[in-house]
Amino acid sequence: MTRYIVKRLTAAIITLLIIISVVFILVRQMPIEGYFDNFDKLDASVIRARLVQMGLTDPLPTQLKRFLLNLLRGDLGTSSRYSVGVPIGRILLTKIPISLQLGLSSMALSLLMGVPLGVAMARSQTRYKARFWDAIGTVFIVFINAVPAAVYHIYLQAFGSRALNTSMLFSREQPLTWVLPIVSMSLGSTAYYAMWLRRYMVDELNKDYVALAQAKGVTNQKVLARHVFRNAFVPMIQYLPTSLLYTISGSIYVESLYSIPGMGGLLVDVIRRQDNPMVQILVIIYSCIGVVGLLLGDMLMVAIDPRISFAKKAGAR
Amino acid sequence: MIRPSAAISRKLEESRAVEAIADGSPPRDPSLFMEQPFDRSNAERIGYSNYSYWGSTFRAFLKRPIAVILLCVLAALIAFTFIQPKLPGQYPATLIINHPLTKRQLSSVPPTLSTVLTTAGEGTLLTVRPYDDPEWAAVTNLVSVIQRRTKFTVLEYAGDWLRARVGDDEGWIANDFANKLKLPDDPAAVPYESQSNFPVNMFLSPNDYTSAGNELFARRSDLLIDETGGSAVTIRETPLRILPYQNGFWFGTNLIGQDLWALVWSGTRTSLFIGFMVALMEAGIGILIGIVWGYVRRLDRILTEIYNVLDNIPTTIVLILVSYIMRPSVRTLIFAMCLTTWVGMARFIRNQIVIIRDRDYNLASRCLGTPLPRVIVRNLLPYLVSVIMLRMALAIPSAIGSEVFITYIGLGLPVSVPSLGNLINEGRKLLSTSQSYQLVFPTIVLSIITISFYMIGNAFADSADPKNHR
Repeated sequence: MTRYIVKRLTAAIITLLIIISVVFILVRQMPIEGYFDNFDKLDASVIRARLVQMGLTDPLPTQLKRFLLNLLRGDLGTSSRYSVGVPIGRILLTKIPISLQLGLSSMALSLLMGVPLGVAMARSQTRYKARFWDAIGTVFIVFINAVPAAVYHIYLQAFGSRALNTSMLFSREQPLTWVLPIVSMSLGSTAYYAMWLRRYMVDELNKDYVALAQAKGVTNQKVLARHVFRNAFVPMIQYLPTSLLYTISGSIYVESLYSIPGMGGLLVDVIRRQDNPMVQILVIIYSCIGVVGLLLGDMLMVAIDPRISFAKKAGAR
Repeated sequence: MIRPSAAISRKLEESRAVEAIADGSPPRDPSLFMEQPFDRSNAERIGYSNYSYWGSTFRAFLKRPIAVILLCVLAALIAFTFIQPKLPGQYPATLIINHPLTKRQLSSVPPTLSTVLTTAGEGTLLTVRPYDDPEWAAVTNLVSVIQRRTKFTVLEYAGDWLRARVGDDEGWIANDFANKLKLPDDPAAVPYESQSNFPVNMFLSPNDYTSAGNELFARRSDLLIDETGGSAVTIRETPLRILPYQNGFWFGTNLIGQDLWALVWSGTRTSLFIGFMVALMEAGIGILIGIVWGYVRRLDRILTEIYNVLDNIPTTIVLILVSYIMRPSVRTLIFAMCLTTWVGMARFIRNQIVIIRDRDYNLASRCLGTPLPRVIVRNLLPYLVSVIMLRMALAIPSAIGSEVFITYIGLGLPVSVPSLGNLINEGRKLLSTSQSYQLVFPTIVLSIITISFYMIGNAFADSADPKNHR
């Protein structure tokens, strides 16, 4: 167990190092305009001097080393165009709480909607006539999966704000404007939870232990709640840390659409303003979240599922 | 009730059979059984199976009516995107359509089936503007434009319209929301002075025979034009057109006066091209690397490590980063999307090959000296067809969706290249206005395409699975 964790941790750290280096090197290929807020007005000698001052004329390995050391010290650099000269860490600190609040609410909402929907769909599989929930859920899942999110969010924003009689944009003071972004963000993961929970539950329902439990006279309710649901939910636990971590970063699209001053909206803003240092840091943060989320998910699985063991696997190649 | 599992009922039957044997009793009723004579044709039938994989897949697919209908719709739609530019009377997609006289862009013309904007009744007096065409005349009933905050005298009040005089000009003014006329409490007590904070159009008759102030076009044969050529009277019901030709804007025009119908189909072509290319590249690269990964044991460790790194990075982030660094173009988008999507395909192929590689029939092939490429193509790939097809079918809608997303962020194709992402991004700003059709039409076409690919892909994957063949 400890060996496994150490191995996974080293692998994750190496992955992070590779990702950071690749992102750093790629962003260095960008035109240098992205490091100045008033590039057009500067003359060549000033630009040259500023580049030297920022250390951008040094050879790449030197720059990379400095960047990594700064990261370790918690120094994320300063913004060059978005808000000139402000440390990126300070900008992020004002953004993260908003994304976190919205993200956690939407995650709770999607679990609250997705899990019951998945269970209802799986249950209606077991009856021969009452396929109502399965049909409703399938239509919902197909719609959410097939129609690009970028499209249905637009319509939800326009018609939802008309129905709720609120502004189309987010405002911290008005609680009603929180509703639509949270619902928008939760739709995708609701469909995801419902789809996979249904699939895992149907798989479990066809297993022999269910028949045995029924033969013993356990009621259907109990079979579903005690046995089937628990077993079916285990594979989904793996994704919870990732979704939890992504609440920090927020949804790129929804936050930008509703002008929410969070992390996701920030990424779109800095891309549009070509603020190289900020794009670089945000991309690195997003990738790190992916890596760390998967790592935590695997660990959680190991901790929860007793079927996973670390005995030497036999016959694995 | 939860269905009794097949395994349990099988076990029940087995136990009954065991009981019967243990009993030692012969079948109870001999008349239920009779001896069968040897039948050659029956014997041959047993030895022959008419199962064919593709035939069964096809039949299983046909049993899903929704998927079949969507397949037809999708096929028709894709065919139409290629036929559309060759149809008669189509505007080129990027052509900005100007008014022939004023040279102003025909922006935001609502969807119409023909260019007829309105019809003028018999005997309508119109002003003819110089327009050199044997068939068409440019007409208007605009007298003059009253500048903003200019006082005019109201001579007659008729609800929606009122007759007014400015200097020597006399004509009709619309009393509507756009003009916001300042009227006294009793507007019927004429005459009085009035004004507006906006420029106001004054017409010859209580009708607006212009398109936003621009001249309309009528056939010269419908008009009786006086000898100076400055005015005309209609001699019958006369259709007045926004352009001197027949073909209308079925989906309207956009803000800069391009035909949305042509733009939507041209954009669909671009988006479908991106989708198909991404799907093909994903399949090509994924299958190639997957086979190498699964078959060459020495490479397994390295490729697995590479996979672990690549799989950890969110696809969206790679897409954003690559589009940020490279110049926006169709090629950039395809490249950015292909960069990570093949990983999932390669892993799947690798896992399947590791499973199938050492089965008996493959060992037999190897012992018989079958060359490796043939083993891969004939023995391994047929097992993977259904999932490869499914992944390709799902890659297309997700590529189209990614294009929309990337365009929204501002890293998509330049506006001069029509694509569904560009159209949706332009139309997005107009959803709450009367011009919402500029968003609605592209999204309808886009949704039909993505939903069809999704449903067809899933239906095909189900029917390609031999477990569903009966």
